[in-house]
Amino acid sequence: MTAVIVKALADLRRRRLQAAVIFLTVLLASATGTMALTLSSQTRDPYQAAFEAQKGAHLQVLFKGTTDPQLLATTPALIGASSFGGPYPATDLQFKSGDRKFYMTTIGRDTAGGEVEVLNITSGRWARANDEIVLTRSFSELNHISVGDHVKVTSVRETPTLTVVGQVVDIDEGSADLSSQHAWILQAAVPALTTPASSTYVMDYRFPGDPTSAQLRGYVDQLRASLPAGSVTASVNYFTIRSAFNITNQIVTGVLTAFSIFALAATIAIVATLVTGIVISAYREIGIMKAVGFTPAGVVGVFALQIIIPALAACLLGIPAGTLASQPLLANSSHALGLAYVPTFSIGLDLVLLAAGLLVVSVAATLPALRAGLLKPITAITNATAPRTASGRRLRGSAARLRLPRPLILGFGDAFVRPLRAILTLVTVLLGVATVVVAVGLPRSFALINNSETGLGNYQVVVDRSGVYPDSEVMRILNSQPETTRVIALAGQTVTVPGLGDPVDTVVFRGDSSHFGLMVIAGRWFAAPGEVLAPRALLQDAHLKIGDSFTGSVDGQPLQLRVVGEVYAIDNFGHSLYTDLATMAAIKPAVEPFSYRVTLAPGSDVNAYVRRVAAAEPDLIDARASDTSIIGPVKIIDSVLLVLAVVLVLIGVGGVFNTLLLNTRERLHDTATLKALGMSPRQVMVMVAASAGLIALVGGLIALPFGLSLHHLLNDVISNSAGNDTPPGAYNVFNPLELLLILVLGVGVAVAAALLPGRWAARTNVVEVLHSE
Amino acid sequence: MSELVRLTDITKVYQGGITGALNGVSVTVERGEFTAIMGPSGSGKSTLLNLVAGLDRPTSGSVEVGGTDLGKLGEAGLARFRRDHIGFVFQFFHLLPNLTALENVLIPAQLKGTVVPGRARELLDLLGIKEVADKYPARLSGGQQQRVAIARALINNPTLLLADEPTGALDMHSGEQVMELLGRLHRDGQTILLVTHDAKLATRHAARVLSVLDGKIVDDARLESPERTASEVIRVRSEEASR
Repeated sequence: MTAVIVKALADLRRRRLQAAVIFLTVLLASATGTMALTLSSQTRDPYQAAFEAQKGAHLQVLFKGTTDPQLLATTPALIGASSFGGPYPATDLQFKSGDRKFYMTTIGRDTAGGEVEVLNITSGRWARANDEIVLTRSFSELNHISVGDHVKVTSVRETPTLTVVGQVVDIDEGSADLSSQHAWILQAAVPALTTPASSTYVMDYRFPGDPTSAQLRGYVDQLRASLPAGSVTASVNYFTIRSAFNITNQIVTGVLTAFSIFALAATIAIVATLVTGIVISAYREIGIMKAVGFTPAGVVGVFALQIIIPALAACLLGIPAGTLASQPLLANSSHALGLAYVPTFSIGLDLVLLAAGLLVVSVAATLPALRAGLLKPITAITNATAPRTASGRRLRGSAARLRLPRPLILGFGDAFVRPLRAILTLVTVLLGVATVVVAVGLPRSFALINNSETGLGNYQVVVDRSGVYPDSEVMRILNSQPETTRVIALAGQTVTVPGLGDPVDTVVFRGDSSHFGLMVIAGRWFAAPGEVLAPRALLQDAHLKIGDSFTGSVDGQPLQLRVVGEVYAIDNFGHSLYTDLATMAAIKPAVEPFSYRVTLAPGSDVNAYVRRVAAAEPDLIDARASDTSIIGPVKIIDSVLLVLAVVLVLIGVGGVFNTLLLNTRERLHDTATLKALGMSPRQVMVMVAASAGLIALVGGLIALPFGLSLHHLLNDVISNSAGNDTPPGAYNVFNPLELLLILVLGVGVAVAAALLPGRWAARTNVVEVLHSE
Repeated sequence: MSELVRLTDITKVYQGGITGALNGVSVTVERGEFTAIMGPSGSGKSTLLNLVAGLDRPTSGSVEVGGTDLGKLGEAGLARFRRDHIGFVFQFFHLLPNLTALENVLIPAQLKGTVVPGRARELLDLLGIKEVADKYPARLSGGQQQRVAIARALINNPTLLLADEPTGALDMHSGEQVMELLGRLHRDGQTILLVTHDAKLATRHAARVLSVLDGKIVDDARLESPERTASEVIRVRSEEASR
C-alpha cells in the first residue's frame, strides 16, 4: 500500500498541471452542486419555521362587506378550523407618500397577535390611534417608507393623513416585488376610510395538521354553499403564499441543479479523459510497475489516487465555498420572512456531498484505470504506448480537398485520433457552449416578458385615480395634453368561472387595448363584447380552450363569454381574464376604469408630461413614468445564470486544455519528426490549435441546438411555474449571427486554451525526443 | 566540386555530462560527396549530424550549410532551412503512424506549401514501393518503412541528405537494399552524410569516412578505391576501439 501511495504522490508531482485541471473542475462542480443542494434542502425550512412561529393561516377568505360578521364568526366551526382570526373589516385604500401613490387592502385589526396570522413587528409598534397605519416591511423597503413617515389617504374625500407607526412581516402574503400588499389600521378607523364599493371582511383559518390543497378548496366550497350567494369574493391558501415566497429560490435551485449536473458530467468526462490518457501514454511504465511487483489493483490504485487526491482537496474547498455562496440567497429568504439570519448549513449534507463527490470521481478514474491493471506486463513494456489507429484519415482527406495548409490538415486529423477522448472533450465543450446559450437567451426571454408586463414600447405613462375622482375628469386631463396619442383605461372586476372555486380577477379594458402589449400565445386579442383571453392555468383548470363559450357570472348575474385567445399573464399564477369594458356594460354599467396607460407622441418629454398631469390634481391623480426595470428576483436568476455560464465555460476550457495536453504529450514523437522535416514552431502551434478548434467547432455545432432546446425547456418550466405557457417570442430571442458568434467565440476560447500546449509542442526538442528511442 | 558543409571548431557540451559531446571539430563536406561518419556509441557522430541538420545548436563554433550560417537562424528559420535544403533519414524511420506512406512522403512538400503528389508517387516507384502508397506504416516491413522515409527525405530535392544509422533497425538484407539505394542516389549526384557504426557498409558505398571518437574526428579517409582501402579504415577503427 505504501508503494502505491508513494508512486501515486510521485506521479502527482510529475503531473502537476493535470492535477490542477482536476482540482479546478472538481472545485467548480462541487461548489455549484453544494449551492444547489443547500438551497434546495434549506429553502423550505425558513418559510415553514416562520409559518409555525407566526401561526400562519392555512386559508384566508375575503367576504363581501355586506356579509353579517356574526355569521362569519360561525364559519370556523362550519369547516372544522382549529383556530381563526377575524372577521376583520377591510377596505381598498389609496394613499400618497411623497409623490407616489399606492393601493392596498387595508385591514382593521387591533392587535398584531392572535390565534392566527401573528404579525411579526420588525420596526416601530402596532397602531394605537385611528390616524396610525402599519405597513409590511417588504413594501416599506421597496418604496423607501420609514416608521414616522406620513401618508395621505386619497381614496376618501376627507384625505386624512396617517402616520406609519410600524413595519411587520406577514407570513400570509408574498414579498412586495411579486405580490400585492396589506396594511393595517385599528378596526375603529376603518369606517372613515372605507368607500362603499370597497368594503370586505377577511377571515383567517388554521386547521389541524397540514391540510392539502384539495381539502382547502373543499372548505371554500363549503363556505360558498353555506353562506348567501356571492358572499365569498376571494380566497388564498398557504400553498400559493409559500410558492410566491419560494419562487425565486425554486427557480434558482432548479437552474443550479440542472447546471450542477452539467458540471458533474463535464468533470466526469475530464477525469475519464485524463486517466485514459495517462494510461495510454504510460504503457511502458505500467509494464515496469508490474514487473517490479505491483498487483493489478495496485496499478489501478496508483492511477485512481492521482485523481482522487486533487479531487479531495477540491471538494474540501468547493463544498464550504458552495455553502457560503448559497447564504446570501438564504439570508434573503430569512429577511423576507422577518427571521433573524442564521448561517444555514448542514454538516451531514456536506459530508454526504463530499462522499458522493469522491465516489463519482473515484468511479470515473477507476474505470479507465482498470485498463492499466489488466495489461500484460510484456505487452505494456513492448508497446510503450497504446497503439494508435488510423482515425482521422477522412477528416484529413476532407481538409486536404479544401486545399488547407498542411498543419491545419494534420491538426484536424489529430482531433479525433483518440475517439473516446475526443467525445469526452466534446461533452465538456458542448455543456459549456450550451450553458452560454442559455445564459444569453434566458435573460432576454425574461426581459421580453418584463417588457410585455410593463408596456415597454407600448405606453410610457401610468396614471391612477382615486376612487373619489371621476374617470371622466381623468380622461379630460389626459386628452387635453398635446402629447397624448392613446389612452387605454383599465378597470377591475371579479368574474365567477364555472369549474373554478374563486372568482377570477378580470382586467377590463377601454380603448384600443390591442396595443396594451400583453403577449398573445394563441388565438387573438378580443375584438367584440363577450370575448375574453386567459392564461393557460385558468383555461386548464376551467377545462376551456380557445373557441369555447361559457357562462360566467358577475355578482350573481350571468355573463356569456367566449375564449378567443390565450394570453401570457403571471398575475395570480395565471388565473385572470382579459376583456373589453363593453363586455361588462350590459350587466354592470357602473364599472369604471381606475388606471390608465398613456402612449405619448414620439419625442415627448415623459417627465414633463407626468409632472403636468400630476399637478392637475395632486392628491387624487397618481401619474408616473412606466417602470420598465427588471424586478429583483429576475436579476438574481440572471446573475446566477451568468455565474454558471462562467463556471461551465471554465470547465470546458479545462477539458480542452486537458485533452490537448494529453494529445501533445502523446504525439511528442510525431511533432519532433515533423519539426525535423521542417515544420516551423508556428506551424506546430497552428496544428495544435486546429485540433482544438475542430473539437470546439463540432462541440459547438451540437451545443447550439442543445442549448436552444434547453433554453426552450427552462422557459417552459419557469412559465409553467407561474401558470402560463411560454410566449413564442420568448423562445426566439436569438439572432442567427449571435449564435454564430457564440460558436466562433467557443472556437476562439478553445484555440486560446490550445496556446499553452501548442507552445510546449512547438518547443519540442527534436534531438532529445527522437534519440530517446 | 564546391564546399557544401563547413563546421568550424565545433564544441557541444550537453547539460549534466559530456556524453555525446564534440570537442573542437572542424570539417568540410563537398557537394556530391558521400561521406560516412563512423564511431562507437556516444562518440558524437549523431550530434554532428544533428548540428548539420539544424536540429541542435553547438555550444561554440559555427555550422555553415550551402553558405548559410545556421547559428544566425531562429527556430522558424531553421525549420525553413531543413524544409528547403535537408532530407533526413532516421534509424527508426519516424514515420507518422496515422498517415499513409504517400501522405508521409508528401508531408515536407506540403509544409513547404508545394503540392507534388506525382513526384511522391515517382519516388515510391523509384524506391520500389509504389504498391504500399496507401498503406499505413504499421502494415509495412522495416525495409519498406525506411524506403518510405528515404522518399520523404527526397521529396523536396534536398541539397543534403542526412542518414542516421539508416540500417540500424533493419535486417541484413533490407539494410543492404537501403545502402544500395543511397549509393544509387549518390551516383545521381546527391550529397549524402551518413552516420553508421558498420564499417563494412560505410566503406562499401561512401567515398569518404570520418571516424569520430570522444567528440573528435580522429580519422578522415578519402577512399579512391573503396575495396582497397576499406581494410585500412577498419583497422583504424579497431585500434580506436581498443584504446
